Amino acid sequence: MKRPAGSSLIKNLEFKVGALLVSTVLLVVGFVIYTMYARGDFQRTQNLTLIAPKADGVSIGMPMTFSGFPIGAVKRMQLSEDGNVRLEIAIPSKDARWLRENSVFTLEKGFIGGAKIKAHTSNLKDQPLADGASRTLLTGDATEEIPVLLEKLKSILNNIADMTNKESQINQTLANVQDVTHRMTGEYGVLEGVLGGPEKARQVVAVLEKTNALLASLNGVSLKVDAVLAKTDSRLFGPQGVMDQTQESVAKLNAILGDARESLKKADALLANAQAASADLPRITGNVREATADMANLRTEIDDSVRKVNHLINEINKKWPFARDVEIKTP
Amino acid sequence: MIFVTNFLTRRGTALLATWRIWRDTLLFAARAILTAATPAAYNSATRTVVMKQIYFTVVQILPGFTLFAALLSYVLIQIVVTTAASYGLSEYALEVSMRLLVLELLPLITALFVALRSSSAINTEIALMKINGELLALENAGVDTMRLEFMPRVIGGMISVLALTAFTSVIALVLAYLAVYGWQTWSLPDFSRIMGNVFQNTVLLGIFLKSLAFGLAVTVIPVAEGMATPRMLFMAPISVLRGMVRLFFLIMLIEVASLAFKYI
Repeated sequence: MKRPAGSSLIKNLEFKVGALLVSTVLLVVGFVIYTMYARGDFQRTQNLTLIAPKADGVSIGMPMTFSGFPIGAVKRMQLSEDGNVRLEIAIPSKDARWLRENSVFTLEKGFIGGAKIKAHTSNLKDQPLADGASRTLLTGDATEEIPVLLEKLKSILNNIADMTNKESQINQTLANVQDVTHRMTGEYGVLEGVLGGPEKARQVVAVLEKTNALLASLNGVSLKVDAVLAKTDSRLFGPQGVMDQTQESVAKLNAILGDARESLKKADALLANAQAASADLPRITGNVREATADMANLRTEIDDSVRKVNHLINEINKKWPFARDVEIKTP
Repeated sequence: MIFVTNFLTRRGTALLATWRIWRDTLLFAARAILTAATPAAYNSATRTVVMKQIYFTVVQILPGFTLFAALLSYVLIQIVVTTAASYGLSEYALEVSMRLLVLELLPLITALFVALRSSSAINTEIALMKINGELLALENAGVDTMRLEFMPRVIGGMISVLALTAFTSVIALVLAYLAVYGWQTWSLPDFSRIMGNVFQNTVLLGIFLKSLAFGLAVTVIPVAEGMATPRMLFMAPISVLRGMVRLFFLIMLIEVASLAFKYI
């Protein structure tokens, strides 16, 4: 490089170099101050100690998020005497309001990317988390579950393989179902499917048709029965019905029975006479012939009466359902 | 037998020469730093020379190089952001961009650019001064070559790498913000949080030290190599060639060392 002879050849040399040096220094100092600000060196923070059984994937400066927003960072981490990891989290005071006494802290590790410390607060109206509080960090490692998951998955897959086997019960059941549904598409539909063939289904349909006819005739019968019952009712209990006549008959019967009693009394007297008469039979044999003629008349009369009574009783029995053996016999 | 002896002798000579030049380089670096750290070394003459060197190695190239770095940064940031999004890792895009550009690529590219532009020029200049006897004449005339010729170049080189790295880094960070969040300021807290995560004090110190080392390397090696040039004209290109190769290796060594220190 050929140097120019003197500084006069370069315009404003001092100014240019000075401006460059000043701006460089300003840039560097400004950048350092900005990074200090960015690290939170100028803001008030409060401490939170999280205790975890292990801290895989946790590093200094790692953010703790609340609803996906970073509200603090891991400041320091160390192994405690009992083998647990103590993570000291610095939380800027303005972000501390998101953390409450009931807040829960989790360390989540996915398949890809680093671990994440998350804070969950269910009730934002709870007491604020105190400075220097200590909480347990719940760890949920998705990759740790994989072997267990694989083992379970394997047995499930085996089961499915057994189920989908050609001789498996499910396949047989499905074949049967197919059979049934195939039959269901026949002329008699579901009936055919359930009963197993068109022949049986046809019989059922026939039975149903017959039943229908039967029901129709039964309907007619019951209508008739209704009419008969109505008639019977009017005949039995209506004016001039059977009941009234029966009542009359009973009254008549009483009268007839009275007559019969009278006749029997007369017969008794007659028999007594006959006894007395028979004592001097030889004497009176002459009269006997007359008497016997009278007797025959009487007998005919009694018989007539008794027959009337019997007839009446029979009539009553026909009309009145009292099954009683009422018969009056002549001695 | 003689062949083996000759071979070993040649190898040994080459090795010793390599050692010697590295030792000279280190010694020169130490002397240059000592001189630069001595306030008495700066009189008005030295100041003018230092300012001129800064002008040539920084101010002249600042606009062009900044533009180029911005373009490169923007393309790389877009690649990182798009790739991260396609893998569902958008939340890491900004951090990856910052680490990739500000911590590694921009200091390295700056050092390489300054090396290509200024170091080759310095190496040629010193080598020619040495070959033409100019350096000897200056010293015979009582001029402190270290104070007036070498030290200003070292300072210019160091400030060049530092300033260019600072400018391009800030521009890259602004571009990264725009690429990830767009033209709005609502995401500044989020951006600041990631910045705070990435730029810990040790990381900042690491960038500063690395840039200083780069700046030292891009000036000390060409000066030392130029001074070590034998006084034969045909040695000038060879001197520049050696200086550039050694400079490349040293820059890569610094980069690898910083990476190893950071990640191992």
